[in-house]
Amino acid sequence: MEMEEIKQKILEFMQKKAKSKSKIYLKDMQRAIPDAKPMQIKKAANELVREGKLEYFSTGSTVMYSLPGQDLEKGMTSE
Amino acid sequence: MADKIYEEIQNVQLDEIFSKPYDPELGEKLYNPQKPMENRITDIGPPHYAQFFPPVIKKNYGKWKSHEIIEPGVIKYTSETGDVVYAVRCATPRLATTDYIREICEIAEKYCEGYVRWTTRNNIEFHVTDEEKLRALLDDLKGRKHPGGSYKFPVGGTGCSVTNIVHTQGWVHCHTPAIDASGIVKSVMDDLFEDFQNMRLPAKVRIALACCLNMCGAVHCSDIAILGIHRKPPLVEDERLEYVCEIPLVIAACPLGAIKPATVEIDGKKKKTVRVNESRCMFCGNCYTMCPAMPLADGEGDGIAILVGGKISNRISAPKFSKLIIPYIPNEPPRWPTTVKWVKKILETYAQHARKYERVGDWAERIGWEKFFELCEIPFSEKTMDDYRLAYDTYRTSMHFKFTSHVEIK
Amino acid sequence: MGDIKKHETPTIDDLKKGPFPSFVDDIEIFGLNKKKQACLDLLGQLELSYKNKETHWKHGGIVGVFGYGGGVIGRYSDQQDKFPAIWAFHTIRVNQPASKFYHVSALRKLCDLWDHRGSGMTNFHGSTGDMVLLGTTTEQLEPVFFDLTHQMNMDLGGSGSNLRTPSCCVGKARCEFACIDTQALCYDLTMTYQDELHRPAFPYKFKFKISGCPNDCVAAIARSDMSIIGTWIDDIRIDQEAVKAYVGGELKPNAGAHAGRDWGAFDIQKEVIDLCPTGCMSWDGNKLTIDNKNCVRCMHCINVMPEALRPGTDTGATILMGAKAPILEGAQLSTVMIPFIRLEPPYDNLKEIVENVWMFWMEEGKNRERLGELIQRVGLANFVETVKLKHIPQMIREPRSNPYVFWKEEEVPGGWKRDIAEFRKRHPA
Repeated sequence: MEMEEIKQKILEFMQKKAKSKSKIYLKDMQRAIPDAKPMQIKKAANELVREGKLEYFSTGSTVMYSLPGQDLEKGMTSE
Repeated sequence: MADKIYEEIQNVQLDEIFSKPYDPELGEKLYNPQKPMENRITDIGPPHYAQFFPPVIKKNYGKWKSHEIIEPGVIKYTSETGDVVYAVRCATPRLATTDYIREICEIAEKYCEGYVRWTTRNNIEFHVTDEEKLRALLDDLKGRKHPGGSYKFPVGGTGCSVTNIVHTQGWVHCHTPAIDASGIVKSVMDDLFEDFQNMRLPAKVRIALACCLNMCGAVHCSDIAILGIHRKPPLVEDERLEYVCEIPLVIAACPLGAIKPATVEIDGKKKKTVRVNESRCMFCGNCYTMCPAMPLADGEGDGIAILVGGKISNRISAPKFSKLIIPYIPNEPPRWPTTVKWVKKILETYAQHARKYERVGDWAERIGWEKFFELCEIPFSEKTMDDYRLAYDTYRTSMHFKFTSHVEIK
Repeated sequence: MGDIKKHETPTIDDLKKGPFPSFVDDIEIFGLNKKKQACLDLLGQLELSYKNKETHWKHGGIVGVFGYGGGVIGRYSDQQDKFPAIWAFHTIRVNQPASKFYHVSALRKLCDLWDHRGSGMTNFHGSTGDMVLLGTTTEQLEPVFFDLTHQMNMDLGGSGSNLRTPSCCVGKARCEFACIDTQALCYDLTMTYQDELHRPAFPYKFKFKISGCPNDCVAAIARSDMSIIGTWIDDIRIDQEAVKAYVGGELKPNAGAHAGRDWGAFDIQKEVIDLCPTGCMSWDGNKLTIDNKNCVRCMHCINVMPEALRPGTDTGATILMGAKAPILEGAQLSTVMIPFIRLEPPYDNLKEIVENVWMFWMEEGKNRERLGELIQRVGLANFVETVKLKHIPQMIREPRSNPYVFWKEEEVPGGWKRDIAEFRKRHPA
């Protein structure tokens, strides 16, 4: 599968999931796009981050992906 | 091929970039938040190691022939070329300010041509090539103290001693700890300081501390491990949970499947949350790692477990895990006297009874763990009997045991 | 910079006493001298933790710099009002030079950078091996990164589901036992896998650790998904004259490691020959003999008599896989996968194995499943086959004691398709 096509599929998947989940594991993308090689999906997702179309979210021990514009410091300010 | 690596190392020079002063304004000049990729350099990796080798290390790379600990904390290495180098090992608290590092630099510049090394166990090593410099360096190090009287750079930790404790962040900088790290390490090392500086033990003793079950300190193969544990199940913050957590991820995070989705009504509004089957909780804290609305920490509940008998080295016996022998000691800041007492007791009993070359675990296995408990006067707790995965491997299925005070004859 | 405020810290002040270096003294004096409120606030918050025995840090989802999925750990104080200078207090992991030698010019410049952009507090080093810069605000993350890459030629280390910063022992730089060039390999792997180090690639973390010999000074076998440990396949080198010198008491056994107690005269029979785990050595009063074919390279004899015995010269490494701390399924040590591999640049033979393993883990691994847990889940034999290695007895300590073999259909003559009518012709019901 072409890189651009994979990127498109990742974004579609992310938007579909955005309603219920704000953060997605790489593994879940790889499961959702079984026709592409996991290594290709990893590359595509990381390229999308460089293009500003996805963002990383890290707990420190694991990293997830989210669509941009989410307030990552939400819940960090004193409530 | 080894020659090729040797040649390459000889050709690596100290990067000139370090001789240019730090420019405090460059960062703002180069970084443009509107165009984050502008001027961005990525994936350059670490600086090449060989540029930081002291000349004697560089010249004798791959040519070292033997070593000798000439006194506690000082190791003399001899090369096939006839060169010698003395490595002087000092413990550090790992948590260090830039001024502490600058003081290390000052010493390194004065005695070691500007080079210094850190070990895997948070020691620093100064290298000198002649005895006169060695004596001057040792004298200098002895005189450097903090205002409270502690040594800044205590020399020791070689051979059959207690070397510096590897540890984690604790209350100083971590969000999941059950205990502090630096304060307990300081308290234990203060008490074992003589054993850091002499080499009277049957073998080396490696102590490690991890402030929660995540064990970033990898304490699970240490002679003596100090481990922070929680003992209360997570609180569930219903009001906030759905905003800050991905519920499916939290549920998946529990190794025992003790977390289930739930819905609650707060002020007439339905909120998604979770419920914890508390009797199944093993207090690992994995849920909190995934969800900040499920805190476990509790001043009364948290504390320390002690594990012993692990090792890494393949020497004589295979590497092995540390075993839990004291399931809980309360947190006792600022000096953790009960923890310090037990660590000391285990060390003393080991020093008295083990044979030369026996690591703590080898000794306990030879005499039997029932004997270990008896000699160390550690009350046996049913909580040291495994009931997790592969527990059966730890059951005694032979007649090979000793009659210790644990056996009641009726 | 305005006035700074020192908090009352009577409890942790107790940690200024005693001989071991006091971090409290270090941080307090630094904070006062350099007017770093963050240091004083950190001690103030620690005092509070010492009173109520709970941490006051909460987690943050900050990952740091643009285009990187690791290297920065978000951290916030839950005491914003009391200790505002440490409200946002993120950690930056900086990839250390292999085996942690430094020149003061690099250290001082890093100190200047960190005084300017952060708290001035560090961990030298983090458990994985990185230089850890402890405590800065979100706005400073990009400038720190630009300073590191433009002014220091340094880069960030790994965190999250990335390759973690590889680390190694002192190796041939200062150890006669090193069987491989640990720094060269560590540096090469780090540079080859920069993308995996900086951007999430895997179901969970992945660690390489490289030790030069079976003494394993970086604890590779206990804490790395791929443990690379130097070894040899030829004979231990013996200097018989030096052996005699040990026996005669002219040389200090154990390189002086036992010097703190009088253990009596060195007894080669008791201390070396009888402790050899395979009983492959003998001493006739004049000559030491080693049956090298039966040696398991535990290094005990070499450690006791380093002037007399040395590892062989045909050297390489053993590759073991799957070690991890207890979270979640319990602690694991690494399992032997390749008993011997020669390691020479560009290490293509090793990288092929690495990439096979990663490919399988990326395809089959579950979220947050370490390699060692995956190996257990699919079974060692299956794993070995999938990553194209050969099944050999070195991989196990002993054969299984249960007979529950998952035979495959193609392994059984005639396959599994059978006709019950045919069966009943032979065996009426």
